[in-house]
Amino acid sequence: MEYVYSILILVGIYVILASSFNLIIGTAGLVSIAHPIFFALGAYTAGLLAIHFHLDPFLGAAAGALVAGAFSLMISLPSLRVSGDYLLITSIGFQLGLLQVIKNLELTGSQGGLNNIPTPVPGPERGWIFSAVSLAAAAATVLVIRWIVRGPYGRAIRAMRDDELAFVALGRNAMHIKIMIFAVGCAFAGVAGAIYAFYYQYVSPEQFEILASGTMLTMVVVGGMGSTWGPVVGAVLLLALPQAITFLRLPLAYMAPLQGMLFTLLVILFLFLRPQGLVAPEAPAPLRARRK
Amino acid sequence: MSAVLELERISKRFGGIVVADEITLEIERGQILGLIGPNGAGKTSLFNIVSGVVPADSGDIRVAGASVAGKAIHERARLGVTRTWQNMRLFRTMSVLENLVLAPQRYAGESLARLCFAPAGVHAADAEACERALGILGRMGLAQLADSAVVDLPYGQQKLVGLARALMNDGRCLLLDEPMAGVEGQAYETMKAVVRREAEAGRAVCVVEHNISFIKDLCTSAVFMSAGRILERGAIADLLASPTLAELYFGG
Repeated sequence: MEYVYSILILVGIYVILASSFNLIIGTAGLVSIAHPIFFALGAYTAGLLAIHFHLDPFLGAAAGALVAGAFSLMISLPSLRVSGDYLLITSIGFQLGLLQVIKNLELTGSQGGLNNIPTPVPGPERGWIFSAVSLAAAAATVLVIRWIVRGPYGRAIRAMRDDELAFVALGRNAMHIKIMIFAVGCAFAGVAGAIYAFYYQYVSPEQFEILASGTMLTMVVVGGMGSTWGPVVGAVLLLALPQAITFLRLPLAYMAPLQGMLFTLLVILFLFLRPQGLVAPEAPAPLRARRK
Repeated sequence: MSAVLELERISKRFGGIVVADEITLEIERGQILGLIGPNGAGKTSLFNIVSGVVPADSGDIRVAGASVAGKAIHERARLGVTRTWQNMRLFRTMSVLENLVLAPQRYAGESLARLCFAPAGVHAADAEACERALGILGRMGLAQLADSAVVDLPYGQQKLVGLARALMNDGRCLLLDEPMAGVEGQAYETMKAVVRREAEAGRAVCVVEHNISFIKDLCTSAVFMSAGRILERGAIADLLASPTLAELYFGG
């Protein structure tokens, strides 16, 4: 049963990550790959606050979200001011650079990572409580993002992507929208990080490398970029895939490379054969004229 | 009468190409100024400079007395600079109504904070914008098209939607970039009537147009531009009567 719980918890975490990454890259069209570093920021923030201050886990998650959102400004403010294309380059640099800092800072446990994070729920109930919290957080994330995308704000995002110049010439502040969406998406990743830290009680820097960026990107692309449910499907499917490979009983050394190859293959296949992903973006709720 | 839009010695060059050379211009409330001249004279470039798409090298631009030089495109729009585009630039995944609802100088749905903490206000603003948009569409004879996707409309009607979206923006100065290009028949008459009515309502209007009869019918005065310079200003009939200008425009 503990095995099932651990998978449910991971599903919750990755649904949050894929949905929020999709908000950034699919909905707003902001090409960044640094999502794992905001996942890391949430995990380290919540972990450190729990270790040193025994902070309440919900406050810890909120702090993780806040720190991830605040750090996102360090990428978005300088790069979006210039042009959207710089975001990708800045995001790679930021992810690798900050990881180096984390790996060398004593506070964050250096290479070895952060150990002995106190768990908020000890005992036999732990598995199902964490599953419930993780899945509830995932559901809340999906619903909040859906609410943003389908409302007046989402309409503005769509118009911005249709024609940014016409959009700003009407008085809309496109840069503000981009910075905001980027911060909101990254804050969600921070929440996912906090759940991760509290459940595993251990955070190591290698989990947040470019490989993790690839995993999240695969989830979004395979699931369906710009659609609400696509990233959910993508996250579940791509979490199931490695579990499925384990049944092949291959030597452990082959597992990681095989997984990387499969994910890459999937992205390439999907981009060629089904670029909209498994779940195509749903048509937005039309604004109907109400005549008297 | 007070000038709504004032350009003072605006200059802009792209490398060796001069698109604006010490342009000084004023447009007043209720005035419809025609901006004519051969292709490449710098007419659209002047609109780009005023709306902030392209920064001027030197000179000042004032809207209702306040300088907008150095301000971003969206800030100028909020100060009252409204423009249309030669190729319309409509939001192509959207309906006519949605194109208009997004266009007021202030769009309440643009703020996530307000959506979170004062959603009722945002939805009230949305409903009000819908109402206003339907009013504008009604006056332009487009009311029945409100829910149509803009890409499904014929070209002339798309042009009208472009103008309707600009009216929704409600700027005190209205820059129209070739509103008549590709427009004929009913849309032509509508366009003319709407532009005239907006000027009468107190807007300062500037029209770039190659359709001379449209300019003749509508404009109170005109300026003739060539190679980034204003060669002549005055009544449209006088400008066209000048043999040198006629040759620049039609001959060559």
